[in-house]
Amino acid sequence: MRRKASLILLALAVFCTAMSPLMRWYAFPRLAKIPAGQYQNAVLEAKNPTLLDYGSMQSKKVPKVTVVQTLKGNVEASEQVEKSAGRDVVVWDSLSYIVGPDGKMVSQVPERYVFDAHSQAPVHPTGKYAETVDGDKVRRDGIEFKWPFLTEKRDYEYYDAQARVTRPIHYKGTRTFRGLKVYYFEQTIPWMKVPLPKTMPVKGITPESVAKTGTTRWYTTVRKFWVEPVTGAPVYGEEIQHNELRGGTLLGGRDKVTVFAGHVKMREDYIRSTVDLVKSNRVLVVLLTSTLPWGFLILGLLLLALSLWLEARSRRPGEPEAAPEHEPQPVSA
Amino acid sequence: MRALIAAATGLAVALALVITISAIGSPPGETSPKPLLTTVPKHP
Repeated sequence: MRRKASLILLALAVFCTAMSPLMRWYAFPRLAKIPAGQYQNAVLEAKNPTLLDYGSMQSKKVPKVTVVQTLKGNVEASEQVEKSAGRDVVVWDSLSYIVGPDGKMVSQVPERYVFDAHSQAPVHPTGKYAETVDGDKVRRDGIEFKWPFLTEKRDYEYYDAQARVTRPIHYKGTRTFRGLKVYYFEQTIPWMKVPLPKTMPVKGITPESVAKTGTTRWYTTVRKFWVEPVTGAPVYGEEIQHNELRGGTLLGGRDKVTVFAGHVKMREDYIRSTVDLVKSNRVLVVLLTSTLPWGFLILGLLLLALSLWLEARSRRPGEPEAAPEHEPQPVSA
Repeated sequence: MRALIAAATGLAVALALVITISAIGSPPGETSPKPLLTTVPKHP
């Protein structure tokens, strides 16, 4: 009986011990992925920024500018891209909608971002599902919006949708944010000439009409992210951004005019909701990467010890249950 | 020999379970009917 029990325990011990690395290095990389149908929004605000009034072409201080950012997973598009890419893909259609102090639209930038659901590495489909910014086809060579699961303490390549360039975003240290351990990242985009948004706030002004005057748009930003490393999700973000129009005949003899200058920060209620969401998602990732693998390993070792102990007891002489399996042979003198 | 068979059984079950769970994965879900926002929401 003890022999049988020790064999069952041995099988369970091997099962649990094998589950530990299999869970961490086989199941986790395949199971942890961004859901294709995710929908999320965030509101960011710039208090007392400088904003260009396109009517008078004068920059002025305004009480507030709000950025409403929506990410919407396009499941049908991701299924189509997956067929050619041969891997799990997420297609995010996003919109950054900027609202002035009067509640009217200042600017809007739609994007399509296509990436690997597991690693967040960019995917470059062609045709109907190509990645875009403001309707133009682009190529992202870095991450955007989200970091990979199990974010590392290193620099990443991050895509800037305004400048349409990929530049490093630097790891600047580990911090605590609202009770969460986070990695702080910072990216500086130096002054660059960038395209004008296709949708302008005043009717009659188009990127083409501005371009005809010889006026160009320039942009610089310092982008800051506080990223929860287990999920790779930013829990907070800030941006210190400057936009200018330079040169041409549109500015009435001036060299440059500020279009927008302000410090954009996530709104408090969205910080709380993002932190809560990340905390709940973090539990699942920790379960697959740490709790279950360590739990299985410890349980496996305990079962192995128990199995060996039972086996040893079953072989101890003088105990009724430890009877030898075969008849003792007579010893010849 | 019986110990080897027991250990192999444990390993085989673990492999089969993990491979099955990983292959099943999670359902893709559906595209949300909610729009891309063009107004400032009052709350998340």
